[in-house]
Amino acid sequence: MNQIIALIKKDFLVDFRQKYIVASIALYVFATTYIAYLAFNNVITPATWNALFWLILLFSSVTGLGKSFSQESHRSHYYYYLSKPVHILIAKLIYYGFYEFFLVALLALIFNLFLGFPVENLSLFLVNLLVGASGFSICFTLIAVIAAKTNNGSHLMPILAFPVIIPVLLLAVTNSRNIVFGASLVDISGNLLVLICFNVIIIVMSFILFPYSWKN
Amino acid sequence: MKYLIKVYWWKPLTVILLIYTVIGGFLMSAPRLPILNETIRILHFHVPMWFGMIIMFTFSVFYSLKYLSTKNLVYDLYASQLVNIGIMFGVLGIISGMIWANFTWGEPWSNDPKQNASVVALLIYLALIILRGSLQDDHHKARIGAVYNIFAFAVLIPLLFVLPRMTDSLHPGNGGNPAFGQYDLDSDLRIVFYPAVLGWTLLGFWIATQQIRLASLQKHLDYE
Repeated sequence: MNQIIALIKKDFLVDFRQKYIVASIALYVFATTYIAYLAFNNVITPATWNALFWLILLFSSVTGLGKSFSQESHRSHYYYYLSKPVHILIAKLIYYGFYEFFLVALLALIFNLFLGFPVENLSLFLVNLLVGASGFSICFTLIAVIAAKTNNGSHLMPILAFPVIIPVLLLAVTNSRNIVFGASLVDISGNLLVLICFNVIIIVMSFILFPYSWKN
Repeated sequence: MKYLIKVYWWKPLTVILLIYTVIGGFLMSAPRLPILNETIRILHFHVPMWFGMIIMFTFSVFYSLKYLSTKNLVYDLYASQLVNIGIMFGVLGIISGMIWANFTWGEPWSNDPKQNASVVALLIYLALIILRGSLQDDHHKARIGAVYNIFAFAVLIPLLFVLPRMTDSLHPGNGGNPAFGQYDLDSDLRIVFYPAVLGWTLLGFWIATQQIRLASLQKHLDYE
């Protein structure tokens, strides 16, 4: 447990010392949203708003979480000897879970400012958003391990990540669109349950596969 | 796979089954149904492609698991070649499906959940090929490829078999369309369809074994 906390603290310190990486992701989110705002020129229907929100979240998550393992690959040899793979994975999942939630909060804030926020049932929207976003962060963490092993990881990250995230994205976007159109918890509970099951599958697969993909 | 490479009896069987499929599929009696009419004969060529694709990918994941537990590069060779054949089946399945859909649904692509899922399947495995191509070392390539293969398969299976059943689909058996059994049950089609599935799948294994033997020979020559 101490080791996990230490590893999370380490990840935080790495990001804190290299603030420009986090800042670049924040700027990425802002710039994409602003381009969308200019391109749509204030005529945006709730359905389009919803699709756009998830698309920008998808792209900024891939960009943001793609660095999770590649940024300290030269140091990873120490971790081979110092800690168990399971601890490293737990620490990364927790840290990048919060990282993803930070992205979501930032994106929601910027969207609210420029493109509006046509959601009435806010709590349900947030529940679905957080379940979907945690699916993103878990999946992209494992894909980032794989992509970090290649020479051109930043190019491979999207093409490896997009096909496997489609089930999560599909369910989350459908739910979210229904919520924007005024669905209640009963209407989306089936889809939400399947979404949670998907997250569980991804977590289980990550724990099984991470020890194989991590060491050189 | 090792057994299939060693023995030959199943190759004549494949030839006989496929000749039977082509002749029987085009000439034997088929039920007359509205809209479908004679296009139902493509059933013997379209549906076995999906059976073949799923069987190839399943075997590929099995050999990927075996590679991770034994670190024997032969299993990686099996896994990678089976993925190639699976992609071939997938492309043929999509093309034959689009031809069929053009006649029955009125357009080649109609945002059907199964069509979308099959495209995702192809995207995943094409990404796997690119991932393997971008790694140099053989063991490295095999291990990372196996990890992605297993992970993608675990995501793909619910996508192919669970999600389409939750929404409306134009495919039989979903969203109130007649189920597969309804036009198949008259057993005219069935006596051709099951041999067709077996024949096409065996043909896939045949191509895979040829590729595996070629690849291992090339590797052998490279070392000399």
